[in-house]
Amino acid sequence: MPQAVQHDIAVVDNDLCDSCGLCMPLCPPEAIHMTRRGLVVDATTCTGCEKCIAPCPVGALAMTDARR
Amino acid sequence: MRAVDVLVVGAGPAGCVAAWEAAAAGAGDVLLIERDRAIGAPVRCAEGVGSAGLREFLNPDGADWVSRRISRVILIAPDDTQVALAPGDVGYVLDRTRFEPVLAEEAARAGATIRISTEAVGIERADGAGGGRWRVRLRGPGGEETVGARVVIGADGVETMIGRWAGLETRVAARDMESCAQYVVGNIAFDPDAIYLHFGPTVAPGGYAWIFPKGVGVANVGLGVVTLRGDGRTVRQYLDDYIARHFPGGTVIGLTVGGVISGVTVKRTVADGVILAGDAAHMINPLSGGGIVNAMKAGRLAGRHAARAIREGDTSARNLQAYHDEWMRLLGDAHQKYYRLKETINKFDDAFLNGLARTANRIPDEKRSLGRVIGSALVHHPSLLPIAAQLFL
Repeated sequence: MPQAVQHDIAVVDNDLCDSCGLCMPLCPPEAIHMTRRGLVVDATTCTGCEKCIAPCPVGALAMTDARR
Repeated sequence: MRAVDVLVVGAGPAGCVAAWEAAAAGAGDVLLIERDRAIGAPVRCAEGVGSAGLREFLNPDGADWVSRRISRVILIAPDDTQVALAPGDVGYVLDRTRFEPVLAEEAARAGATIRISTEAVGIERADGAGGGRWRVRLRGPGGEETVGARVVIGADGVETMIGRWAGLETRVAARDMESCAQYVVGNIAFDPDAIYLHFGPTVAPGGYAWIFPKGVGVANVGLGVVTLRGDGRTVRQYLDDYIARHFPGGTVIGLTVGGVISGVTVKRTVADGVILAGDAAHMINPLSGGGIVNAMKAGRLAGRHAARAIREGDTSARNLQAYHDEWMRLLGDAHQKYYRLKETINKFDDAFLNGLARTANRIPDEKRSLGRVIGSALVHHPSLLPIAAQLFL
């Protein structure tokens, strides 16, 4: 059983995201991946550091409570 | 399994020139792949390029991939004071949707094979003799396929996966990431032969705003911001506010966003059988944010060294290190100086920059070069001397 995530994680709003990839090298654990359907944050490796949030040019990244 | 000598990932300026040069230098079987459906699109760029650097690769005279020839640079202070530098052969604003295809055609003419809509989804070491040093999984319209490659050139941009997979450190600190947003704006008035660079911590903290003409009355108007230095707005909000203030009657006909890495070249650009080039290796001028010519120059070196390593039968990191060293001598070392200068410029406040602009405008129009503007600034603002000294350290 994977450990339940105990902190908020980043999520991508793919309606806003333009898939520019700017957030990817900013992510310390390299948890953000580009897919054919847009960017995806891997909830199991995101540490909740928020470094990707402000730099997103269009505000497509936000923190969310992963426990919900 | 198909095996190639050189696999180039990403058909931007770095990748196209790398494939072109590798094929021309006799590297053997060269395959260039591009994730997107079209080479050159979507545009994530202000499209400005210096004349001398461009001409090392292609002749822009009369070319249909040039949007506008630029003969003037106008610097703008935070209070909107304009400082027009003396005219000259400054450069070009490109049409990247036409420019990259021309580079790709050159690569193809040199013998490279090109595949669009094809991305690398994973690589693994394959130290067997026949299949080359890496096995690369590709995903394209026909499904997945594994290709062997002696050398993989990662020209896959700021989001580079080749760098990650090869164990190279390509992450970026937030202070070195400029978040950029740009509109193509029509129905606006400006000098169509000039590029405008608008500075100031209230305009674009950590970066600058730009107006790059695409034609008469239509321009790329954009902003780059280090959001760590910002006030909480997204860069798109900064840009909306900028447009509202300076071009309220303009017609927005396109949006592009992206990241410009304004740090310095990554410490290691090579691994066994892997070379990184262009944005993937952070080869951007940290002062100007310009990366097109840098990418082409790095691509040329990457293609050349890949061909050499294959010819020598040694594609180890040790043998590819000559690529890294040559890049550092060519531009990488200079970028470290520009980076220190930028750090200092970032400390200037609006009042200081406004004062600099007034000082610069006392220089006669025809003599107002960037060098003289800096010289004049030093005379009138002796506190800048330690900063100038940094340029030469």
